[in-house]
Amino acid sequence: MDALKEGLLKLDPGLLLWTIITFIVLVLILWKAAWKPIVNSLDSRAEKLRGDIEKAEKARLEAEAVLNKNKEILDNAKDETAKIIAEGKVNAEKIRSEIIAKAGQEAGDITERAKREINTAKERALGELKLEIVNIATDIASKIIVKNLKPEDQEAIVKDALSKVDSIQ
Amino acid sequence: MFRLLQIINFLPASAEGGHGEEESVGAMVVHHLGDNLPHFWPISYINEHLLNEKLFGIFDMRITSLVLMMWLVAVLLIVIFVPVARALKKETVSRSKWVNMWEALVSYVHDDIVAPNFDHHYAKKAMPYFCTLFFFILLSNLMGLIPGLRTSTGNLAVTAGLALLTLLGIIGVGIIKQGPLSYFIGLVPHGVPAALYVLMLPIEIVSLFIKPFSLTIRLFANMTGGHVVVIIFLYLVMMFQSYWVGIGSVAGALMIYFLELLVAFIQAYIFTSLSAMFIGSSLHAH
Repeated sequence: MDALKEGLLKLDPGLLLWTIITFIVLVLILWKAAWKPIVNSLDSRAEKLRGDIEKAEKARLEAEAVLNKNKEILDNAKDETAKIIAEGKVNAEKIRSEIIAKAGQEAGDITERAKREINTAKERALGELKLEIVNIATDIASKIIVKNLKPEDQEAIVKDALSKVDSIQ
Repeated sequence: MFRLLQIINFLPASAEGGHGEEESVGAMVVHHLGDNLPHFWPISYINEHLLNEKLFGIFDMRITSLVLMMWLVAVLLIVIFVPVARALKKETVSRSKWVNMWEALVSYVHDDIVAPNFDHHYAKKAMPYFCTLFFFILLSNLMGLIPGLRTSTGNLAVTAGLALLTLLGIIGVGIIKQGPLSYFIGLVPHGVPAALYVLMLPIEIVSLFIKPFSLTIRLFANMTGGHVVVIIFLYLVMMFQSYWVGIGSVAGALMIYFLELLVAFIQAYIFTSLSAMFIGSSLHAH
């Protein structure tokens, strides 16, 4: 036990003083040469990190705003497209029915005109036919009249005609 | 601690019969952990011719091996941290893993030891002391794990010296920041009735001195304890003179060795952290 007390549990005042001297000298040396620059660099980095984080937060908010705006624009565009498509459909329907109606009308017109043309052609043909028939009939009649007219009859007709002329005068 | 040392002293009696080993385990422990005077030049010359007289009749200033160990640690700290500081001054963000490692440890000391106990303004001023304290104790603790070197923090005088500086810090900071009179009055918490005050003041003054005392004993006992266990484990081999015991005791010693690695960090942290807490709390009256 004495050996331990002498060896392990001995509090040597000289060693204690050496410890204090060594430690204080070490603190003084490292103060200026090491700790000050290291702590400064840590501080400046912490400051920089704080700034960076703030910047990142700002950038995130900005990005979010832009995203929201884009979303809004996209939504608007979607609405717009839907509206345009619906309008287009309605227009197309309208145009279709219009075209059909017009086509129908045109077809009707064409038929009408064709009918009219046919009628005129028929009428003209009939007129010509009538004229021909009249001519032929006149021819035949004149031939018959020439063959059957007696001089007295002719005289009677001429007289009659002359009397008419007289009556008019 | 004492119980352990008593057990160690009993061991040789049973061991001596088995073999011719003269050295008792107690002597072995003292030989490995105690302080001694180096026998090489120029230290021996300086010791014999320049420092052979006691300073003020009390302080035996001869350079012992533990003093040399402290100087080695001090030189190591300077060699490590001055280039690190220079590298960090040059570029705030270093690529070097070496620089980053030490820087991480410094920022650990700052964030976990100093910052919780000091306001931002004081933290910067307190950093040099606590950084030096932490790394000095850490490296001293780790020194003992290298064969041939010794743990200076495994000696009562060294830990007492460090704790004495902390005590001076507690009282000094208290007197400077609160004023001498209000500091000693402020030792007793506010709102204590006058009758209790008479009782409380001595208790608080005693507790003021118990703080560094507990720091001293804690660090010393932890660093010594691990080494003693390692030595006992290895001594078992000599005691039993058997290969099988050798395997077991080397494995045991190795485990304690790894535990020591952990304890070296933990004790450096505890000593520094408690010092920071004590000194930080004397900044303001409470």
